[in-house]
Amino acid sequence: MSQNRWLATGNFFTSHKQEQRIFFTHLDRLIFICFLVLAFAWPLFFKLGNKNMLVIDNILVAIIAIYGLNLLTGYTGLISIGHAAFVGVGAYTLATFSRILGDSHVLLTHAWPLMILLAGGVGAVIGAFVGLPALRLKHLYLVIATLSFQMIFQWVINFSKFFNQGQTIAIGRVFWFAGKVTRSQHYLFWYYVALIFVVLFGFGVRNLLRTRYGRCLVAVRDNDRAADAMGMHPGFTKVYAFALSGFLAGVAGALHAYLWRGVGFESFTLHHSINYLAMAIVGGLGSLMGSFFGPTAIFMLDVQVEHLSEFAKTLFPSALDLATALRPLSFGLVIVLFLMFEPRGIANWWRILRSYLKLWPFRY
Amino acid sequence: MSYFFQLVASGIVVGSIYALSGLGFVLIYKSSRVLNIAHGQFIALGAFITYALTVGLHIPIYISFLLSLIITFLIAMSVERIFLRRLIGEPIISVIMVTIGLMSILDGLIYLTPFGTENFSFPEFLPKTPIALGGVSISWTQFVGVIITVILIAGFSWFFKKSTIGISMRAVSDDQLASMSIGISIPRVFGLAWAAAGFSAAAAGGIIANITGLNFDTLVSFGIIVFPVVILGGLDSIFGAVVAGIILGLIQQFAAGYLDGLWGLFGTADLLPWFILLIILLIKPHGLFGVHEIERV
Repeated sequence: MSQNRWLATGNFFTSHKQEQRIFFTHLDRLIFICFLVLAFAWPLFFKLGNKNMLVIDNILVAIIAIYGLNLLTGYTGLISIGHAAFVGVGAYTLATFSRILGDSHVLLTHAWPLMILLAGGVGAVIGAFVGLPALRLKHLYLVIATLSFQMIFQWVINFSKFFNQGQTIAIGRVFWFAGKVTRSQHYLFWYYVALIFVVLFGFGVRNLLRTRYGRCLVAVRDNDRAADAMGMHPGFTKVYAFALSGFLAGVAGALHAYLWRGVGFESFTLHHSINYLAMAIVGGLGSLMGSFFGPTAIFMLDVQVEHLSEFAKTLFPSALDLATALRPLSFGLVIVLFLMFEPRGIANWWRILRSYLKLWPFRY
Repeated sequence: MSYFFQLVASGIVVGSIYALSGLGFVLIYKSSRVLNIAHGQFIALGAFITYALTVGLHIPIYISFLLSLIITFLIAMSVERIFLRRLIGEPIISVIMVTIGLMSILDGLIYLTPFGTENFSFPEFLPKTPIALGGVSISWTQFVGVIITVILIAGFSWFFKKSTIGISMRAVSDDQLASMSIGISIPRVFGLAWAAAGFSAAAAGGIIANITGLNFDTLVSFGIIVFPVVILGGLDSIFGAVVAGIILGLIQQFAAGYLDGLWGLFGTADLLPWFILLIILLIKPHGLFGVHEIERV
């Protein structure tokens, strides 16, 4: 059976295995590889200022966190209003090392890939622990459990001397084969590190969702009684989803800590949890592509809000900081409007665009 | 011993405010099964409207308090009409997320006004000398606050038990399909539930603002502390919210009075409710007085 593997004209699947393929045609794969090469190569040709580079780095770190939130909220159907706390667990794992061993101990500066994964591991353990009520409870109550985790996390950070009562805990510059990562290379270096993690975990999540361990999440979301009847344990599946989400959030937290060269309490508040939810919703819950679109859109919105408030300041000089008002306002509006008019998020627009381009110029 | 009774007294004051805040939350949950995450914002809204009317327009505080109740009633009703009416029948998860978005929107709107960042306090309108009763002293604002709370809670309980609208609300919470079939308009009941919740939130806001002053973060934190209250009392029980509110108020006051400073612990009053919440979730998720209808996983 030979068909055109470059330009498929329709579905010719004869087995489940074929349908589960990531790339349906060679063209898809080629475009993806081109995109990947571009993502790695563009910093060699364009030089962006530190400010813009920081925004891009932040987007990449947020993408990893949103992988986690999307697995939890999108695929397993459990809302988490404590995702920033999970990210914070990763960041504060590094902060713990920094407080005990000093901020430029060999472990922090040389063994940083290990530390990032360790932070993920700690995140996974804490995530599973927070998810334990899932063994008995359903979604409404789980929302409250994650909220209480967020509050307890904030308390622990704010009131313990060990964590400097929420003040910034510094983390030293890391070393690379070519020596210490200097100030001018910092953002570029972490761009590549974050990008590699994004690609690795992206493939990881995509492949996970093709296996039984990923599909059981979706099964539990859609109907947990049916899932139970098929031999999955809904409770443990939910705990496992919390652990996965905690792992990805922990990795994102560690990257955040390295990128900002310090861990402070104000990056992991309830507002950030809501921002993460906004990213997941805007991108599209339950779609991997959404994990890329959501953070990008929200960070772009954030940048625009800042521009707007600076512009407004020149027009009406007042003591009021417009950005503090416009940021929650715009995020809230975006969440509500997307939920009301496009519950499937930007990922749905992407799907429509793709199918449009595939059929172009024959629109039927 | 008088220290102990002082703590009990202030615990009851705080607890009755928690009860009033929890009441609005329970109203919405009871009729529409929605967790209103934006409840604290409604509390703040009520407080700010009362302040703006009293100080800005020089209306006597009792009248402006009543006016703020009515205005917040209307605001909550229109919020339900604009944002939540379209989502009837959607999965409950997206409705909850809409209330999360709503919380953000209201935050932003309040930050646009001076109330978001600055602190205000109500002009004194009650006698300054506190009421002393056997070594325990309560200020007049706290006393009046408790009285208003008791009246409102009694009123709401009566409303739910006896009035036609209250009975139809309970019917909707029990079985939506059956209540539709006997001619209850479900959207109208949802709208009224939100409006009643806004009403009670505004009352709580006005009382809190008179006791603690107008600070946006403090007012909103009363909307967050509602979660331990309603979980402890049972999500769908008004009586439970009252009892749990007073229990948590007492626990917080005792923690602040006796635990702080011991073993280097501080701020335990903020932490304990959340631990209690987690424990309740694990061992008795329907709370003290909630209906035992939780589906087990």
